Amino acid sequence: MSRRGGVSLLWIGLAMAAAMWMTACSDSSQDDPVGDQRLVYRHALDGAPRSLDPAQASNVYAKILAVNLYDTLYRYKYLARPYQLTPNLAEGMPQVSADGLIYTIRIKPGALFIDDPSFPGGKGRAVAASDFVYSIKRHFDPETRAQGAWLWQERIVGLDQWQKDGADYDQEVPGLRALDDRTLQIQLISPFPQLAHTLAQGFSAVVPREAVEHYGREFAINPVGSGPYRLERFNSSGAVLEKNERFRQHPLSLEAEGYDPASQARLGLNALDGRVPPFMDRIEVPFIAEDAARWNAFIAGEVDFIKAPVTQFDRILASRNPPTLSEELSQRYNLAANLESGFVHTDFNMDDPAIGYHPDPDQASRNKALRCAIVNAFDWDQRNEVFYYGIGRAFSGIIPPTAPEFDAAQSRLAPQRDIAGARKLLREAGWNPRNTPVLEYGFPSSVTERQMFEQFRSFMADIGYPPDKVRPLTFATYGDYARAYLNREVMLTTTGWTMDYPDAENTMQLFYGANASPGSNSANYVNPEFDRLYRASATMPPSPMRTSIYRSMNRIVMEDCATISGISRTLILLWNRELAMLPDRSFVGGFFFRFVAPGVGESSLRGESSD
Amino acid sequence: MGTRRTWAHLKGDRAGLVGLLIVLFFLGVAATVWLGWLGQGWSEASGGRWLTPNADHWFGTNLLGQDIFARSVYSVRTAFEIGLVVALVSTALGAGIGALAGWYADSWIDGSVMWLKGVLDAIPFYLFVAAIAYALQGQWWAMHLAMIATFWTTTARLVRAEAMKLRSHDYVRAAQAMGLTDMRIIWRHVLPNTVHILLVQATIAFVAAIKTEVILSFLGIGVQDGVSWGLMLAESTQEVLAGHFANFIAASAMLFLLVLGFNLLSDAMQDALDPRGGGA
Amino acid sequence: MREVMRPLARKLFQALLLVVGVTLISFLLMVWFGPDQTYTLIGKNATTEQIAEVRHQLGYDDPFLLRYGEYLLELVTLDLGVSNASGESVRTLLARTVPISLVLMIPGFVLGNGVGIALGLASAHRRGRRSDRLITALSVTGMSISFLVVLIAFQVLFSTPYGLDLFPVRGWRVSGWTSYLHYVTVPTLALLFVTFGYNTRFYRALFIEEIGRDHIRAARALGASESVILWKHVLKNSMVPIITRIMFSIPLVVISGSLLIESYFGIPGIGQATFEAITSGDQPVLKAVVGLTAVAFVAIQFLTELLCRRLDPRLG
Repeated sequence: MSRRGGVSLLWIGLAMAAAMWMTACSDSSQDDPVGDQRLVYRHALDGAPRSLDPAQASNVYAKILAVNLYDTLYRYKYLARPYQLTPNLAEGMPQVSADGLIYTIRIKPGALFIDDPSFPGGKGRAVAASDFVYSIKRHFDPETRAQGAWLWQERIVGLDQWQKDGADYDQEVPGLRALDDRTLQIQLISPFPQLAHTLAQGFSAVVPREAVEHYGREFAINPVGSGPYRLERFNSSGAVLEKNERFRQHPLSLEAEGYDPASQARLGLNALDGRVPPFMDRIEVPFIAEDAARWNAFIAGEVDFIKAPVTQFDRILASRNPPTLSEELSQRYNLAANLESGFVHTDFNMDDPAIGYHPDPDQASRNKALRCAIVNAFDWDQRNEVFYYGIGRAFSGIIPPTAPEFDAAQSRLAPQRDIAGARKLLREAGWNPRNTPVLEYGFPSSVTERQMFEQFRSFMADIGYPPDKVRPLTFATYGDYARAYLNREVMLTTTGWTMDYPDAENTMQLFYGANASPGSNSANYVNPEFDRLYRASATMPPSPMRTSIYRSMNRIVMEDCATISGISRTLILLWNRELAMLPDRSFVGGFFFRFVAPGVGESSLRGESSD
Repeated sequence: MGTRRTWAHLKGDRAGLVGLLIVLFFLGVAATVWLGWLGQGWSEASGGRWLTPNADHWFGTNLLGQDIFARSVYSVRTAFEIGLVVALVSTALGAGIGALAGWYADSWIDGSVMWLKGVLDAIPFYLFVAAIAYALQGQWWAMHLAMIATFWTTTARLVRAEAMKLRSHDYVRAAQAMGLTDMRIIWRHVLPNTVHILLVQATIAFVAAIKTEVILSFLGIGVQDGVSWGLMLAESTQEVLAGHFANFIAASAMLFLLVLGFNLLSDAMQDALDPRGGGA
Repeated sequence: MREVMRPLARKLFQALLLVVGVTLISFLLMVWFGPDQTYTLIGKNATTEQIAEVRHQLGYDDPFLLRYGEYLLELVTLDLGVSNASGESVRTLLARTVPISLVLMIPGFVLGNGVGIALGLASAHRRGRRSDRLITALSVTGMSISFLVVLIAFQVLFSTPYGLDLFPVRGWRVSGWTSYLHYVTVPTLALLFVTFGYNTRFYRALFIEEIGRDHIRAARALGASESVILWKHVLKNSMVPIITRIMFSIPLVVISGSLLIESYFGIPGIGQATFEAITSGDQPVLKAVVGLTAVAFVAIQFLTELLCRRLDPRLG
């Protein structure tokens, strides 16, 4: 005991000393006004990344940082909307064989990893095609705890087998090979038209084996990449990135980035054409999850960019549709309304005989009537109004508005609430307040989630569903919630899906039978016709025909009333007018950091203009 | 220290009387909720968002347009349910364990009780309560259990000391000599003599329970189904910065009044029941 | 010599038993039955095998005794592992967050006890008079206000345009004394407000009992002045319970108090880190926090006893 007592005392002593040291230390460096003329961009994030290892870049914050610290073969064009792929580390778009199975990709010369002690002599070496091969293999190595394997599972020849054989990096994967230092070849099992999109994900970023092996688990906080920035500092309150001076020289071409002078002239990007990014010397990324704190930091000029909190929309917006900035703020800031590349929806657990499939066909059809009545009773206008300030986009179906295949005609802009219809459905199927099942609505405990549940309960009350039969099923952590619904224990699961790439295949697979829990089909929806169409369309490159298949699949899901869907939120992004930039939280994500630049003549403009 | 004297003492304590009146008032409110007269519409979204107080909504409405008056009144019932369950069970548990430990002082029973108490005291309260709440995923009684598991220790300590004193009293020895079993003696002679401790401890536990509920509900591990002042305050943390204070004022004012009432009552009882001379 | 050693060895043994108990219970609750992080670490469309693999990686499928043993070993060797959530080593995390919590909590803690002692002394000295009644009423009022209510109210009063708007609403961007005072003031006032009622009441009762003792009466009879009596006799003789109370509340204030303050004000100290570890199921962090707090608590208990024995030979 005495030793332990000593240890803990020592611990406290150390902590005290550290406290003194910290205050003293920060005193000495206090408010150092960075006397030089270095260009700093301060981008506030509303959450923190879990890890800086690209293999674990599963949330939006991790992705944003990963694509700045590391290189991906492809990225999305800075300014083009709808979103378009463009080469990043790759020299050009992949050369694809006629049968769509073999992809050959050349990488740009001159890409270098940053200097790091894990390299011989501490000097960063050139990025080679084999680094990419290694980086993808990592996802199939259980030791990595990677989260991106699903992108390439059962797609690449020999890769799944490589994992089964024990994930030995010295063993070659036939479908994933470096032909030489700069040439890469991927061989697919069957055509996968979305492959190039997967190579623009943070997950596919190129990491050097030396660093992974050198740092072990702590590679997650010691990134060693070849991206436009390198990490200076990282902790739970923020990250600081410094310009990677050796980043490949590739001038910005506004035209190639999809510049639209008509709508984008006000951004002040013209002067940047032909200049070589990254333009800023340093990027500070404080993680400020609390709405009020983030807003205050922005208004006080401590950060240049924020995702505006909904609670401040009253003050920020002069109009809602389209969202415009209030007079007061437009003097100092710019606004972009960014429709999220995903949607929020509430799935019925079709595996639950009380609400979903039932062996008795009669009961099954009564259950379907019940589900459809619930879908009809859901008031998307109210949901949008109360929680998204009325600027979200409610739509009917599973193809969100950001997907190129979205059909505005089919999905009425806001799904109409139909109380009378819902009541009729219930009546005809013989449901009454006594025999309706108890609805268990799952959510991870938080104020907003609970309010959404209570709103759902009041929607149900409107069609005569007894409030005591609509019950919350709460979970203390998101992980526990996920465990429950992935184990099919939650009757009504509300989740948000963020699309990985702009192709509705990415949302269709949410209802594909083979993806049932623990896959991402959390409705456990199985419809043979839907599955047949999914398999048929999976190997098809984008085409009007494929789009029409997607739309029939969309109809099938909606007719089965397997989900209450959905709404895409509109994010309000605000930034300092003195910067020339167009931020994005969707597919471009963090790729735009390198193009952020000080506005030319903006400050003088500000004085004159009175818009 | 007869009941009458205690009552006489209590009557002379103005603060205590005020406390008693407050508690009785809230008990009455809770009763009207139990009887289904008040607060029944707490979950209906019956009005517009964030309405200011008016004739239909005395305390205004919240984000969803629910009536804040109904919610805060219904929460009185929630508070009493939590407070009563936790106070009764934790006091009873503390009394039982404390009496056993005191009666068998210095035996292994006493040793393990003291050990358990030491262990529970050494774990930071909110961490412990959170841990129980997590371990018992989603059970509505997880919060109750967590509080009971920590609140019994004080009662047990006090009862233990009292039981050790009583053990050497003549009439207890006499009872032993008559061949009564230990359990019977504890039940008949020891526990009744700790009532003054139990009453005070129960009011203290009641107060602690409803205060803890607020914190736990804020942290997302408190009340799961229904409404409570804690849930209302948690909601208000997202609203006050935007200038909506109705939730906050309604919940915190009622919470404060009830806790104050119990605190005053508990103080008065402590003075009145103190065997060492009925307060000074 | 043996006479001295025996009780000491006994105390040590008891302390050891306590540590075993605390670690066992916290392990049971927070690790064995605790949150499962598997499902936040898997990717989209994970297969059952992948889920099992992650569980295995996290060690969730190891037997109870092995995991508990590993936990004890980690505590003894202070090899606390790496956070599952961020990959940051737990030691780095502690070294980063604990100092923030200390500088955050110390002012309120010191002031809270200082004010409590001063008011308690004044109140006890003027027992039954108007100022005593006022102080008693104030402390009952203070005790009746919820911590959360105080936090919300103070935030609105001090940090928003609805009130004085003098201090930052949330956060902790401290770089020097000015910014430190800027950020620490509201949490300190809140902590002071919440604790003064309990502290005052505790110290008042303590001093009243002390004043009633024979030797104080004797001193008074001998004509010692009131200030000498208060400072020299009452306060000095109350040192043992004062120290005990202060020492015992240190670990609890640092964790429980800062948990609420930090998660409310968004301050990146150990309280917030613990809260985040709870909500994300980050077991290495939870294990370290609970284990070290428990060990610290037991150690403090042990040291307090030694200290008190030295101060007050009557206990020996």
